[in-house]
Amino acid sequence: MAEDTLNIYEKKAEEMTATNMITKEYRFSKTKGGFLSLEFEGSTYPRIRVVRLFPFSDENKYLSIREYGNGDKEIGIIEDLSLMSEDTQKLISEQLKLYYFTPVINKILSIKDEYGYAYFHVKTDKGECRFAINMGANAVTKLSDTRLIIKDVDENRFEIKDIDELTSKERRMLDLFL
Amino acid sequence: MNLKFELNDSIKARLKLREGEKIYYSIPVDIDDDGNWTDDSFLVVTTLRVFTFISGKETFYEIKELQKALAEAGVGGGILVLRKDGEDMLVAHYSSKHLSRYAYIARGINILISGRYEEVISTEYEKICPHCGRVIPGTKTCPKCSGNGGFFKILKKTVAPYRKDLVYISFLMVSVAVTTLLNPEVQKRLINNVLKINGSYKTALVYLALMFVLSVAIVVINILKSIATAKLGSKISADLRRDLFEKCQKLPLSFINERRPGELLNRITDDTRFVSEFCADVFCNLFAVFFIFVWDVIFMLVLDWKLALLTFSVVPFVTFFMFYLRKTISRVFRVQNKKNDDVASDLQDVISGMRIVKSYGKEEIEADRFKVLSGEFAEIQKRNERFWGMFDFVLSFCMGIGVVIVVYFGGRSVLDLKMSAGELYQFISYTLLLFQYVGWLGRVPRELSKLKSSLERIYDVLSQEAPEEDPALVQEVDIKGEIRFDHATFGYKSYQPVLEDINAVIKPGEMIGIVGASGTGKSTLINLLMRLYETDDGSILVDGVEMKNISRKSYHSQLGVVLQETFLFSGTITDNIRFSKPDASEAEIIRAAKLANAHTFISKLPDGYNTYVGEKGHSLSGGERQRIAIARAILTDPKILILDEATASLDTESEYMIQKALDRLTYNKTTFAIAHRLSTLKNADRIMVIDDHRIAEFGTHEELLAKKGIFYDLCMAQNLD
Repeated sequence: MAEDTLNIYEKKAEEMTATNMITKEYRFSKTKGGFLSLEFEGSTYPRIRVVRLFPFSDENKYLSIREYGNGDKEIGIIEDLSLMSEDTQKLISEQLKLYYFTPVINKILSIKDEYGYAYFHVKTDKGECRFAINMGANAVTKLSDTRLIIKDVDENRFEIKDIDELTSKERRMLDLFL
Repeated sequence: MNLKFELNDSIKARLKLREGEKIYYSIPVDIDDDGNWTDDSFLVVTTLRVFTFISGKETFYEIKELQKALAEAGVGGGILVLRKDGEDMLVAHYSSKHLSRYAYIARGINILISGRYEEVISTEYEKICPHCGRVIPGTKTCPKCSGNGGFFKILKKTVAPYRKDLVYISFLMVSVAVTTLLNPEVQKRLINNVLKINGSYKTALVYLALMFVLSVAIVVINILKSIATAKLGSKISADLRRDLFEKCQKLPLSFINERRPGELLNRITDDTRFVSEFCADVFCNLFAVFFIFVWDVIFMLVLDWKLALLTFSVVPFVTFFMFYLRKTISRVFRVQNKKNDDVASDLQDVISGMRIVKSYGKEEIEADRFKVLSGEFAEIQKRNERFWGMFDFVLSFCMGIGVVIVVYFGGRSVLDLKMSAGELYQFISYTLLLFQYVGWLGRVPRELSKLKSSLERIYDVLSQEAPEEDPALVQEVDIKGEIRFDHATFGYKSYQPVLEDINAVIKPGEMIGIVGASGTGKSTLINLLMRLYETDDGSILVDGVEMKNISRKSYHSQLGVVLQETFLFSGTITDNIRFSKPDASEAEIIRAAKLANAHTFISKLPDGYNTYVGEKGHSLSGGERQRIAIARAILTDPKILILDEATASLDTESEYMIQKALDRLTYNKTTFAIAHRLSTLKNADRIMVIDDHRIAEFGTHEELLAKKGIFYDLCMAQNLD
């Protein structure tokens, strides 16, 4: 009996290390409720989750496709979304939008600091908005010399893709956080 | 936290309620279907339906057709999902701003689905003030919007007990002011009466003596003032710290967990320090400075009102300039401090990871990286020092300009014999005083608002109502040990339930082993049993009585706890064992230690039971500490016992000793034991397997093995070690 279990465990461990690449044969389709289902070689997953493995450095590469529930087990990995069919690309991008919300700041209208908090008024690719960050905490993360992620007090994330593209006035406002 | 936002008129008009249908929740949806920000979209939950109004599009779901509501958190936001006919429906997309709000809403919808009509109310605080848009620093109400009246009331309340000290200090302040103002007057006389062609040596000495006395008086009074303010400051902060600490001990853990880590610590240390500094420096000086300032202005006007007005006209420019300079300075130095922190943390990183750096041979790369960082810091520092070097000169230059004006026009008056040289000198002294205090007074509003937020934060804690038990509602119980979980649900964060719908009945004296992967909720279950938290939904019953209806004191006196991380307080071994029962006799302590297999090693210590342990004391091994903890638990003869990984990470011998001690301890007591090593659970009557926030399996060893589920797998995996 123990022998069997050993085999089960070996198998489980093997499974965990194995990487299953998702290819064009996998069929993704949109569910009635607005999520994705997946069909492949007879297995059907009524709802799947898409996870970015490198959300900052490669947002459209190495996407982990996982079951919904059942321990969120990984079904496979899409190595490069741009190599998938156009339909799949569209479907996956839609799901990513639901799970990753990071507005990109295009223009800084104003930054006001007051007693430990800084108040931003910005234009983003998702529209104009205002948010506040805690200056004491590490609210600004530098992904590279020119790329920033700003976390506000609610843990929303905002991205500045390239600070060199900001005007000198905007940069001066940002200076405090760099 | 607001779960009922005011709806706009167009939505109100479109919302056609059926008879008897009531609105329970209405909250904003801030992301539209295209993933863009929206500010006119809402989710409305009534007793019968869930509505969404997203960018003009209206949808609704009948609650009776739903099976479940889920608030799923993503990165930077989340989605509300409703399950209808087994199919998950995406209902609303929101940013992180509303994560907790939607978790409450999901809970509310689930209650409605189950056919109950309780309304969920959130006690969490808003993070952003809905009126002024400012961040609320962890307090209940926005410090800005709560109004000045409240603030001054609080300030008065804070300083009231120190009235005597304040009067004494104010008196000293006025004395400082009088002597400060008197000095130029004496100097004027010295110049006018003595320093002229036929001035006598004797009168000069008199004036000099007077000046000497005044100077000595200023020094003496200032020293007295410093001593008094320092004393007052430390008194105030000590009192506030004590009050805060006492309150924190009484408040439920959930209050402490709702706040960011370190925030409470800051309130106790930083905020109290600021209040005491303010009371000592600003509050006391305020009086004196106003006094000096007013008289300074009057004296100047009396001496020469035209010149005085001319000087005053420069003041706004100088203050503005100084204000601007200060702001720039604080900005550049903030940048420098930030860089300094970067350098320090990087250095700490590399030094503490030195073994890794060296073993991978990455010294050079690390050194190069550090060189860059340190170079950046040096550059900023260089720039700042240059700026700083100029600052003082620029500042004195500004003041100098005022003086130049005074000297120019005053000098002409002296030459025209409209003013004496002494008067001019006096005037210049007053001008310098004026500039000095204008700067100081300019700082006051800023300090006041800083004080305000500090006080608000302190009083936010102090004004919290610690859950006092109503003696009429709670009862003393003699626990037999039956525990019943009835739909118990709990999460540390409102939007992340850690335990969901736990149902179980544990018989008196039963030993329950709790197993499961880390992060599944084992320790949380035990926290609930220890009554560190209360269930969000459902309840836990002890001998058929709801836990919250049992008096805390009575419950905790019958509860024994041995945790993985044995915490020993600074004190002797006796103190530590006695912690659970302060009135225990020496004989009782020895008996408990013997039962815990701790007596032998304690007797071998040179100081025996008086051995000092804790942070700075004698260091005991993990097994020894554990046995002291067991003795502590044995001492009260508890009816319910909780063991959280009590034997983890111990060597085999001490594990055996502890296991023996535990066997004695758990005999005939309702016991909950968490263990990773299943061998330690061989005595357990039943095993509870927790997986995915629920009870996955529950039964005896044999039952669970026969089931070939999670427990079976775990057993098999561990037997193979």
